[in-house]
Amino acid sequence: MKENLEEIIEYLKRKKVDYADARFVDSKTESITVKNGQLEGLSRNESKGIGIRVLYNGCWGFAAGSGLTISALKNTADKAVRIARASATTRKNPVRLASVDIHRAKYMSPCLEDPFAVSLDGKIDMLMNINRIFKKHPKIKTIEGGLDFFRTEKIFCSTEGAMIEQVIVESGGGYEATAVDGREVQKRSYPNSHRGDYACAGYEFIRQMNLLENAERVADEALALLKAPPCPSGKFDIIITGSQLALQVHESCGHPVELDRVLGTEISLAGGSFLSIDKMGKFRYGSPIVNIAADATIPGGLGSFGYDDEGVAASRTDIVRDGLFAGYLSSRETAKVVDRDPNGTMRADGWNRIPLIRMTNLNLEPGEWKYDDLLADSEDGIVIDTNKSWSIDDKRLNFQFGVEAAWRVKKGKLGTMYKNPIYTGITPEFWNSCDAICNKDHWKIWGLPSCGKGEPMQTAHVAHGAAPARFRKIEMGIGR
Amino acid sequence: MTGRARILKLLGSIVSESKADTTEILFIGNESGLTRYANSQIHQNTAESDSKITFRVSVGKKIGTASTNTLEKGALSRCLETAIEIAGHARPNKYFMGIADKIRPKNIKTYFESAARYTPAARAAVVGRICRASSGMGLIASGAFSTSASEIAFVNSRGAALYQPLTSAAINIVISSDSSSGYAQAVSRQAEKIDFKSLTDIATQKCLLSLGPVTLEPGKYDVLLEPMAVANLLEWLAFIGFGAVPYHDKTSFLSGKYNKRVMAPSVTIYDDGLDRSGVAFPFDFEGMAKSKVYFIKKGLAGRPVYDLQTAAKNKTKSTGHGMALGAATGPVPLNVFMLPGKKPVAKILKEIKRGVLVTRFHYINGFLDTPRALMTGMTRDGTFLIENGKIISGVKNLRFTESIIRAFSNIRAVSKETELCDTWWSDIGCISAPALHIKEFTFSGRTES
Repeated sequence: MKENLEEIIEYLKRKKVDYADARFVDSKTESITVKNGQLEGLSRNESKGIGIRVLYNGCWGFAAGSGLTISALKNTADKAVRIARASATTRKNPVRLASVDIHRAKYMSPCLEDPFAVSLDGKIDMLMNINRIFKKHPKIKTIEGGLDFFRTEKIFCSTEGAMIEQVIVESGGGYEATAVDGREVQKRSYPNSHRGDYACAGYEFIRQMNLLENAERVADEALALLKAPPCPSGKFDIIITGSQLALQVHESCGHPVELDRVLGTEISLAGGSFLSIDKMGKFRYGSPIVNIAADATIPGGLGSFGYDDEGVAASRTDIVRDGLFAGYLSSRETAKVVDRDPNGTMRADGWNRIPLIRMTNLNLEPGEWKYDDLLADSEDGIVIDTNKSWSIDDKRLNFQFGVEAAWRVKKGKLGTMYKNPIYTGITPEFWNSCDAICNKDHWKIWGLPSCGKGEPMQTAHVAHGAAPARFRKIEMGIGR
Repeated sequence: MTGRARILKLLGSIVSESKADTTEILFIGNESGLTRYANSQIHQNTAESDSKITFRVSVGKKIGTASTNTLEKGALSRCLETAIEIAGHARPNKYFMGIADKIRPKNIKTYFESAARYTPAARAAVVGRICRASSGMGLIASGAFSTSASEIAFVNSRGAALYQPLTSAAINIVISSDSSSGYAQAVSRQAEKIDFKSLTDIATQKCLLSLGPVTLEPGKYDVLLEPMAVANLLEWLAFIGFGAVPYHDKTSFLSGKYNKRVMAPSVTIYDDGLDRSGVAFPFDFEGMAKSKVYFIKKGLAGRPVYDLQTAAKNKTKSTGHGMALGAATGPVPLNVFMLPGKKPVAKILKEIKRGVLVTRFHYINGFLDTPRALMTGMTRDGTFLIENGKIISGVKNLRFTESIIRAFSNIRAVSKETELCDTWWSDIGCISAPALHIKEFTFSGRTES
């Protein structure tokens, strides 16, 4: 395939394009779902093809096809050029690309135990055993567990001389219990909602999650929520635990620092960003203890890789430093606009999609607190855990999250459990109210395999490191 | 396009070699183009040619699923073997009761040659006119215009051999200024039937009308939801409530309420994949003919949609709403209609003393409390203050948090006009919605945009 890619890049050079890249992707997935003791889904899927991106007369064209012969590739390349010519009919500002180091390299993500080599029987048995634990409780009407595995081989080749081969293996899973009593419906998940936790790793990641060992606790909490009082309304000091805080970082920091959004190119669908270019380096995004960085080099993070889909090496970038907004996620095109170096965040959801700026591992860095000390320091507050719902406005300012469970903390002691907790806020006000972040002993990277963006909708695998943190006087309990 | 004869012959030959007890093959081939524009110029312009071939086999009651995108006999045979192999590892599914019989689907024209020939240059010409019109007024145009020609085939070991070519086109337009924005959209099987100029005018007018929006405090307001805003809510109602899975898992607002009043008598919501006034498609992805299903009839709760497995599990029949083979989502309605009323929307507007007009919602989430259909989301691209029957100014965007069961019980008027609203599955369906006047709709927050 490398030879075919090189030939098609030479073909495009002869067509006098400004720039072109060709990206071959061969992806394999395996997915298993067990619900209420029944194997409801067991599938293996594969897809391969090539996407060709052409910059011609300052405008982009992209074409993708599953045909892999030289003849098919030339057709796809010709189509990309035709499309770029069509784009040029509306050109106002020609695209210019920031220059980058050109790589000829190979990368393989860390994987100790190939998940595709682990027996299906073992995987199914584990999910069945989890299901059995919940089956003992009549009010748990639904227990659904799943495992997902991904193996993606990519070859990237460009007119600038890049030739990059990568193999990325990802694994993840989890389960969700739904308890029902009359019209009362409550959910509890492990290790996270929305199908669990994911990592750029092999089956060893599944073994480390202790899925079975946590099932009894999750069942008990789901049942307890049926009897729990509603979360009170009003302004409270809240402690947000890791997985929910990961999603908070994702929605209120990750998306607004995507430079394509800031420059307006996602306005019609996902929206824009309140973090306009004039705010870079000056705007107080959060309190001085808030530090957020994007780092695609962390081993095992679901947002880790060797090189992005325009051949830029994975890197670490400050996003918020000591509470000040410090930088964006950028592509070669957008970095040029703000006169910065691109930081390697362009990724596509498969061979048939154009790369977009995507989060990598965008992490809230750990603070100083021990979790027990943070609880002990809380006179009257609420601890909230595990996402249930999420919504944020098109500039990423006004957000509202619902979570699965909450507990009152009074005089440093965890007390009453609450159902249906919802909190809301305005992004910079919220992050400026952060006065405590737990230390690295409580810090963990959470993998989110379903970040949506773009048209047609693309799903990216991203991650967020977070430790429990406290936020002062947050509005709780809307919508009861 | 692969064509009916070639694809059915190829898939038929693969089915005939299968050693499984039952074999189903779903083929989806797609030639599509999408032109995205922002800052009044094209910034992404793409084309895709792909196919996906999914196999679902049963060995006894053990089921395996595999897919490939390589449309060659050797690759298809290997994919079939993979499905059979993993079925060997599966546990028996007690709800598996077999596959679809051979059917004769309703004859519906879903393919239009003129639409299939829509080129990148033709899309760029449309977008160019939108961009020039907005630039001429000092405004900014953004949006996306997609066209596609696809073919869907389904073959199984009980003799089913279905094939349907289809075309579709969808456009959305956002016209914006420094302080405001307006939106319009359309979806059709025939791109040339879309009135692009009219849509541009609507989005532009909304943008200009909402210049310098005022701040409105959260609270309960009368709302006039335009069709796209209603469709945004219906999309979530369908997802959390109209399928057999949430219905029988008792997480749906319809669970256990059959024939009981759940909404205002003016509300009738149903799915009809055969209604040519929508984006019709005659069969589902399990080879079953689509049937009409009422979710809400004159305010009374109806039944959900079923696929083969959920039907067997609940001792009923499939309604023809099976999704892609092996998908764990369960059946979902893709052709949702809300029955129109009798009043023109202009007359409804005149009857509102004080309220908020909503063009569309953004980022709705309906997982807050599904038995109450409690949802939250933001208004977007055209939110207006109504006083004494007239739009008097734009309003900065508001967050709603509301039970849609409660809101649809508080409907005061349903417009006679309806609009086909684009969804992410617009190749095979869309939502037809009227405008609604709702009393005491809860806005729980606001924002600065």
